[in-house]
Amino acid sequence: MMSTTLRATAPPRPAGAAQNGGRRGPRRSPSSHIRMTGWLFVAPAAVYVGVFHLFPVLYGLVLSFTDYSPISRAAPDFLGLDNYAVIFADPEFLNALRVTGTYVLMVLPPLVIGGLLLAILINRPFFGVGFVRAALYIPYIISLTAVSLIWLWMYSQSGFFNQFLDAFGLPEQRWLLESTTALPAAAAMRIWTALGSNMVLLLAGLQSVPKELYEAAHMDGAGRWGQFLHVTLPGIRPVLTFVVAMDIIWIAQGFAEVFVLTRGGPLGSTTTVNYLIWTEAFQYNQMGSASAMAFVLFACIMVFALITVRSMSGRNSR
Amino acid sequence: MDVLRSRRFRTAAAGLSLTALALTGCSGSQGGESDALTVWFPGTNPAEVELMTDTIVPAFEEKTGVPVEVTYLDYADLSTKLNAAFAAGNAPDIFGHGPAAVSDFVINERIEPLDDYVAAMPESDQQDLADAFTGGQVDGSQYLIPLSIQSAVLAYDRSDLREAGLDDELDVGSWEELLEVADRLTVRDGDRVDRAGLLLPSASPGNQQTFLTLLASAGGQLISDDGQRSAFNTPEGLAALEYFVDTYQGDSAVGNNLGAQWTDSPATQQPLLLDQAAMAIMPTFRVSSLLDADPEFEVAVAPPLPLGDSEEGRYLGGAGPGLMISADARDKDLAWDFIEYLLTPEISSQYVEGIGAIPARKSAVDTPYVADDPLMSDYVSLIPDYVPNPSVPGWIVARDSMAAILEQALNAQLTPQEALDQMQVEVDDALAQARG
Repeated sequence: MMSTTLRATAPPRPAGAAQNGGRRGPRRSPSSHIRMTGWLFVAPAAVYVGVFHLFPVLYGLVLSFTDYSPISRAAPDFLGLDNYAVIFADPEFLNALRVTGTYVLMVLPPLVIGGLLLAILINRPFFGVGFVRAALYIPYIISLTAVSLIWLWMYSQSGFFNQFLDAFGLPEQRWLLESTTALPAAAAMRIWTALGSNMVLLLAGLQSVPKELYEAAHMDGAGRWGQFLHVTLPGIRPVLTFVVAMDIIWIAQGFAEVFVLTRGGPLGSTTTVNYLIWTEAFQYNQMGSASAMAFVLFACIMVFALITVRSMSGRNSR
Repeated sequence: MDVLRSRRFRTAAAGLSLTALALTGCSGSQGGESDALTVWFPGTNPAEVELMTDTIVPAFEEKTGVPVEVTYLDYADLSTKLNAAFAAGNAPDIFGHGPAAVSDFVINERIEPLDDYVAAMPESDQQDLADAFTGGQVDGSQYLIPLSIQSAVLAYDRSDLREAGLDDELDVGSWEELLEVADRLTVRDGDRVDRAGLLLPSASPGNQQTFLTLLASAGGQLISDDGQRSAFNTPEGLAALEYFVDTYQGDSAVGNNLGAQWTDSPATQQPLLLDQAAMAIMPTFRVSSLLDADPEFEVAVAPPLPLGDSEEGRYLGGAGPGLMISADARDKDLAWDFIEYLLTPEISSQYVEGIGAIPARKSAVDTPYVADDPLMSDYVSLIPDYVPNPSVPGWIVARDSMAAILEQALNAQLTPQEALDQMQVEVDDALAQARG
């Protein structure tokens, strides 16, 4: 469509061009010039993506089939699928997969449902709505490491949460020191951090639903719940699908909060796959097995994200 | 339209050129000028950075005429950045790290042996620095030049002892007797310990260091003399681990906050200062910092205590972080000159005072920094009793494996003997794998 328009407005060939000694050398058509220009415009971003995104990913994939330590002078030693066989027999890695899955399940539902409820709440005019929106979004733009450090103090023995319990005469808790509470504690912090982002995305989805549909539903006798089920949810389904898929991708890569709050403890109860990858790669210099773990995590995230997208977007029902 | 096309083309070409320039800039050597000495200094302590930037580097540059490029790295980032630099082939001429990392650099031939340089030092300097240098050796060769000595000692709050009706000068002859005192100092509310009578670091990997202190105090050792296998699965090891576990488990537990990482917390959040503990094993610089936070705080340091049948106690300690010369350094003699300059009595003294560390030089005992500070005098007098962690290939993996199993023992998921058996397997495996 674009090229047609441009071709139509292209000026006639200059007279001099036809008198060029009758030479019929290779000439570029206007569309090839446009293509060329397009490629040149795309090139910087393409080079950036290729060098800084695709190449490291492909190199990581190659490393996952090797034994390689960055402090060794030896080149990566090809091992085939050995790293994958080893990590699938490693109880620590299997535990990390289980912890990561549990973490996603702990964070995702409250994050999506909470984000939707907040979006509905602020999708109406009231005094201070701008302030409320900004206040809820602020945690998302603060560095996760900085947030984690603040929450580390809040969870400490003399921190905010224990002081709060103490005010009601309740016994203090060892939030990050018990294997039963450490992961939920990290999950609570992550929910608090990401809620604002989901809220803003879902608010945009809510505001894109035509008002006429609500009026029609109302005329047809639908109550608030009926309108939510039959107008709101279908209306925001594309945004909701995006939010859930992105949340799965980000939560499953949880690292900073674990690194700061618990260092994977106690007793491995918060050792996510990403934290284990960091340990393997940068504590023990085992880049091969760390890369293999990274690609298993990638595969798991991709599968779950695809299942989510397909099931939520309704493509299976076609 | 041709003009337009031409402009588009030029704009796109300019964009491409800028990208290429940016990428070229990104891929530039970290070392900067080829004739500069590159140094990656461990730690971001402001006093350390100021001393390096304002005093040491300008003086060395003036003396040699060689520019020095110093990068200060936080310990958390050190291994990551060094690994990347090694992999890219642009490691700095001089870099720092803790003694635990040295042996892995050695077996991978990343650092230069410094024996010849050390041998060329005046005999008096070698003697003066001997206590620190020992911890920088692997298989008898010097690789790391420690800039200070570090240790963790038993500190206590004198006022807590007085409140419990005890002499405020801790007077016990063994760890067992200490436990009896700790029991009197412990404040309990039912099953809960509100104030720990004795707090031993239990977070990973500090729990491994606590175990080593107790093991060495019982007369045992972690690794065999040849560095090839574990040596802790002995009656001494069992006594050490049972003692450690007993401080946290059972009716007579005297510790609290099992697994909490408090040794890295600032002075104002230290359990001793907050009266959440009466006695605790702490890094020496952290003990001193308690007085910075509260000059009235009555802190004192206990001598090392024997455990079981042993006759003398030990504290974990020895060489602190130091500097190494890359095997690929362009001018190794110049790199050594820089390190040697840092070791001169005046500079060394300024350095340890700046970071509050134990001096690497024995002769520093006469300086006001040590002589006028009772705590620092205690730390220095204890140097002969310090025992370092092993410096053998595979140590970091072995250490972390031990820490994970010790955590299970401390949480009563394993008996001390089961923990020792598992640790033996893991440590032997890690050491064997590292040796290939």
